[in-house]
Amino acid sequence: MSNVPKGQISIEELENVHITIGKIVGAIEEKYEKTEAGGMTPKPGVSALRDWDHSLLSRYQPVYTPMCDQCCYCTFGKCDLTGNKEGACGINMEGHQAREFLLRVITGAAAHSGHGRHILHYLTDKYGKDHPIDVGPSNLLAPNIQTVTGIEPKTLGDLEPAIEYVEEQLTQLLATVHMGQEGAAIDFESKALHGGMLDHVGMEISDLAQISCLGMPKSDPEAPLAEIGMGCIDATKPMLLAIGHNVAGVANIIDYMEEKGIADQVELGGLCCTAIDMTRYQMDQGGVPHAKVVGTLAKELKMIRSGIPDVIVVDEQCVRADVLQEASRLSIPVITTNDKIMYGLPNRSNDNVDDIIEDLTSGKEKGALVLDLDLLGELAPRLTLEMSPIRKEKGIKALPNEEELKVLIDKCVQCNACELVCPNNLPIMKAMEIGADGDFTKFEFVHDQCAGCGRCDQACPKEIPVLDVIEKASQKAIMEEKGHIRSGRGQISDPDIRAEGVNLVMGTTPGIIALVGCSNYPDGTKDLYKMADEMLRRNYIVLTSGCSAMDLGMYKDENGETLYEKYPSKFLGGNLINVGSCVSNSHITGTAIKVAAIFAQRNITGNFEETADYIMNRIGAVGVAWGAYSQKAASIGTGCNRYGIPVVVGPHGSKYRRALIGKPYVEEDWKVFDARNGEEMPISASPEFLLTTVETVEELMPMLAKNCIRPSDNNMGRMIKLTHYMELSQKYLGHMPEDWYKFVRSETDLPLAKREELLKILEKDQGWEIDWKRKKILSGPTTKLDVTAQPTNLKRLCKGEC
Amino acid sequence: MAEEFPFEISPMFEGERIRKDGMFVELAGPKAVGFELVSATDMDEVEDGKFTLIGPDISEMEEGARYPFAMTYKIAGELVEADLESIVERRNHEFQNYIQGMMHLNQRDDIWVRIGKDAIEKGLTSFEQVAKAIMMLFKNELPFIEKVEAVYYTDEAEINKEIESIRDIYTGRDERTRNLHDEDVDTFYGCSLCASFAPTSVCVITPDRIALCGAINWFDGRAAAKVDPEGPQFAIPKGDVIDAESGEYTGVNEVAEKLSSGEYDRIRLHSFLEYPHTSCGCFEVVGYYIPEVDGIGWVDRDFTGTAPNGLQFSTMAGQTGGGKQVVGFLGIGVQYFRSPKFIQADGGWDRVVWMPKMLKDKVSEDIPDYIRDKIATEEDVTDVESLRNFLKDKDHPILERWEEEEEVEKEASAAPQAEFTAPQAGFTASQMQMPTNFAPSAPMVGGGGGNGGVKVILKNAKMSVDRIIIKKLD
Repeated sequence: MSNVPKGQISIEELENVHITIGKIVGAIEEKYEKTEAGGMTPKPGVSALRDWDHSLLSRYQPVYTPMCDQCCYCTFGKCDLTGNKEGACGINMEGHQAREFLLRVITGAAAHSGHGRHILHYLTDKYGKDHPIDVGPSNLLAPNIQTVTGIEPKTLGDLEPAIEYVEEQLTQLLATVHMGQEGAAIDFESKALHGGMLDHVGMEISDLAQISCLGMPKSDPEAPLAEIGMGCIDATKPMLLAIGHNVAGVANIIDYMEEKGIADQVELGGLCCTAIDMTRYQMDQGGVPHAKVVGTLAKELKMIRSGIPDVIVVDEQCVRADVLQEASRLSIPVITTNDKIMYGLPNRSNDNVDDIIEDLTSGKEKGALVLDLDLLGELAPRLTLEMSPIRKEKGIKALPNEEELKVLIDKCVQCNACELVCPNNLPIMKAMEIGADGDFTKFEFVHDQCAGCGRCDQACPKEIPVLDVIEKASQKAIMEEKGHIRSGRGQISDPDIRAEGVNLVMGTTPGIIALVGCSNYPDGTKDLYKMADEMLRRNYIVLTSGCSAMDLGMYKDENGETLYEKYPSKFLGGNLINVGSCVSNSHITGTAIKVAAIFAQRNITGNFEETADYIMNRIGAVGVAWGAYSQKAASIGTGCNRYGIPVVVGPHGSKYRRALIGKPYVEEDWKVFDARNGEEMPISASPEFLLTTVETVEELMPMLAKNCIRPSDNNMGRMIKLTHYMELSQKYLGHMPEDWYKFVRSETDLPLAKREELLKILEKDQGWEIDWKRKKILSGPTTKLDVTAQPTNLKRLCKGEC
Repeated sequence: MAEEFPFEISPMFEGERIRKDGMFVELAGPKAVGFELVSATDMDEVEDGKFTLIGPDISEMEEGARYPFAMTYKIAGELVEADLESIVERRNHEFQNYIQGMMHLNQRDDIWVRIGKDAIEKGLTSFEQVAKAIMMLFKNELPFIEKVEAVYYTDEAEINKEIESIRDIYTGRDERTRNLHDEDVDTFYGCSLCASFAPTSVCVITPDRIALCGAINWFDGRAAAKVDPEGPQFAIPKGDVIDAESGEYTGVNEVAEKLSSGEYDRIRLHSFLEYPHTSCGCFEVVGYYIPEVDGIGWVDRDFTGTAPNGLQFSTMAGQTGGGKQVVGFLGIGVQYFRSPKFIQADGGWDRVVWMPKMLKDKVSEDIPDYIRDKIATEEDVTDVESLRNFLKDKDHPILERWEEEEEVEKEASAAPQAEFTAPQAGFTASQMQMPTNFAPSAPMVGGGGGNGGVKVILKNAKMSVDRIIIKKLD
């Protein structure tokens, strides 16, 4: 064919040709168009879903508990807002509190989407715009992105317009925090809900990108178990500690160590979500995770103070601000790797690795800013191997020795200053008192519950390094801190959801409980364990992520097993699923969206309101952020709220200063439309709240069961949910719940084993009419059981409305 | 009520496993004889609430030992009938598992029961306590049971005396189930349980068609409708037969129209291509029409590969579901492969051309002998072309449907070979909701013509273009 002349080639004829074209780029700008199939609100602006928000907020009214009753935002003030006073700009207390909450939410959302932007850019540069999104055997790859923006991403490049949308909206929201903008609390609240929704899009972008590019498990129920706990760290090896949430840099470190065959010479451990994602890295084909997990943010200061790490690498989010100071005291060089945290360190991104190592090993510099992650990949492991012998030779002493410990304990004058500042009011004085006699059991107790904030150190008038004392006295217990965590599986796949559908419908799986949030628990990891174990035994599906996922791996039962070993991890009742790190929280809302798309064929594309309406009325899911303290926890929870998913926060959650609570006693609040005919139908008051705080696990348990009740429950589902509600109330509170009868629509809703007994109570106490021969309720219930009724909050979805 | 028992009764104990070291006694099971039986009896032959034990009681049993075990219940009531026996019997399994400290596995003469040490510690001493609880639960759950009496056996000789006649009863029941067909009954049952998630789903349950989820058969429907005629399972009077072959009945159509709020008004129970049954969401298998061979392929949830049309289960499953009638895709339960009326309207098994190996093995016994080897799996073919060849080589009955098409081809030899055979059934292409890359490919003719250069003629070519980059000329 070499003699074919150059020129135009024309194809004269094609016969039986099958051409498939994947994507055309270049000439035609691909533009999202509202097609016939698309929903009403692709890429909603700040006001697009306002009606939905207002309807949510009219049933679930904001309750504010100001921690500070002043506004100090501008130099007009500061302004005292107590006693219905307005500030100099005209803002009132409610408005300002709502604004504060909005700020908290968008701060959290910005943290996730900033992370998303960074990792998406980085991975797009590395793998190309056309790298496919590969997250498991699903048709619906990006439920949150698709529902909110209408974009159905297939490649990394497709995520770009989604993150741009989030950024643009966050800017709009942040603008309204400025003085002289929004005046009504309710619209600040609507904006907060908007920010929460954006957060789930941002999180989803981050996780889809990293799952697709970094070989993380793809909807894998068999994702491997990783070691977790300070006790599992081998202190005899040179140790490299990574802290933060963005695994991009650490992935390079792992690659370098594998490539050079030095992986077994370096002990690689992580704290916070970077740690979880390290255990997910390259695990999509199974295997042994490349790193160990030290634990949550609560272990950060403790791990540094242990003196074990030889080098610390930090990336972003939930990293203590004093890492550099703390580390420098112990000659641990710190490498910062991300714009968000730089600690004032010199930028060495363009320097030679040997030069940087020289400056750090010699102690000339305390740390380095290295934004080139390829450079980091080589620098960190080499530095670790060099630092370890140097630090050993220097005889770096971290915690006090035994004699010093005794001296420090004896210095305590029982002044109470430490306990006053302790977030969990831990009995430090008592520990000091009996510790003086060599009994360290109380210290071990304190260590177990301690969130590692270090405020006690600062408060001590005798300058006792209280945390060091606690840690030294608990060495024995710390050595035993070894557990297992299932590395995050990513999304719940479409086939997973189909397989479990029948149980969700039949009520044999009574609901989904999501244990998320940070690690500021009043009773250590035991609270979480108790909740998860109880609900798993009752066949609920328990989903978890981030810090909660880590802490669940830390508590072992009498057989020495963690819940990850005790319960399987499929998407089935009685299964415990770790979806992954913080950004994997988007898969929890994503699961609810998938249920709407799969079982009801709801068109979710750019169709937030209808999707949320389905979820709120049909899917029995409750989120629990037990130890929540970050702004991210606030934004994650608020995103769930906009979908109609209720969230409970633990005791410290009251410090978010706001709750969304319904009034079960106001009848007109509990009505929806029946989409078949547009008639109003009364419903039982559940979920009772969108965001609330509880003090104790005991109070929480029955609440979880109750708030899985939904208007659309069929009788089997309602019967099982009600059974658990009553049983949990009796088990943990010692009495039948006061309002149980309000959830009874017909005799078939009553728990089977107690049907007759309960019918008697209904007749006697509530005056209901019973046909005893047929054991049927003739009159009494205020809500009706009609499983074909189609509960909706949206009038426009009713027949004949449009 | 429940407080009278020395154990808790709750669905939370359903998944409770009693392992060897926590076990007080093992009853029946793989190494000892046993059975359970519920029989419908006349009212005057049942003494309500009575319990009889033949053989040693729990308190007389030796820890760690194994005993034979049988449970029989006589039930009576105005609405009680023999067809309900197996339904009530299955509840025995469920309810015994509700009891804390009891584990009940399997059914009929395969039962395997364990009682835990904890239950004994809490005061379980007699089978009477268990039987009383079960009888209470029977009556609460199924109020058509007006009287119930229980006889338990732990005496091996007594059990052996009964067991043969009991096995005959099981066999008799199975035959009745197997021989009961749509034409033998005048009532079908509808189930709306799914409506809590799939609002417009209408599930019609007939003797030849188990519910899509596989959890409710015609007998279950019958029992539930008796308990509560207005409940989620309800009777559908069959009405007149419109078409027996495809399974279309006036009664079903009326219900379909009502429950779908007028969305559709015809359902053919055993049809794939015309007015198929709706799909909810939890179907185990999805069937898909393959226009190139005019056949139907099936793919199940566990199959992670791609079907010959290049699509995965989840992609195809995404096309249907939500209680919508979608032509070209059909979700079913694995059990439906066992129905003698399996997609009868479309040719039944003769129309089936592809299944994943695992699924085919699972239902192998139900595939008619003459066609078993003619259905391809992923081990035989990878795409539509190789499927076509496979079917030709094996002389699959689908070939008969091609003959007409091939004749047309011969006549019009100048025209490009039609790759897409119009389906025989009367629906238009626009009715079919298929993924875009699934659409029949019409022959394409490259534009241009132009002058100079070369002419290219492509025949039987398959091009796959990952992406086309179009750049403006400077």
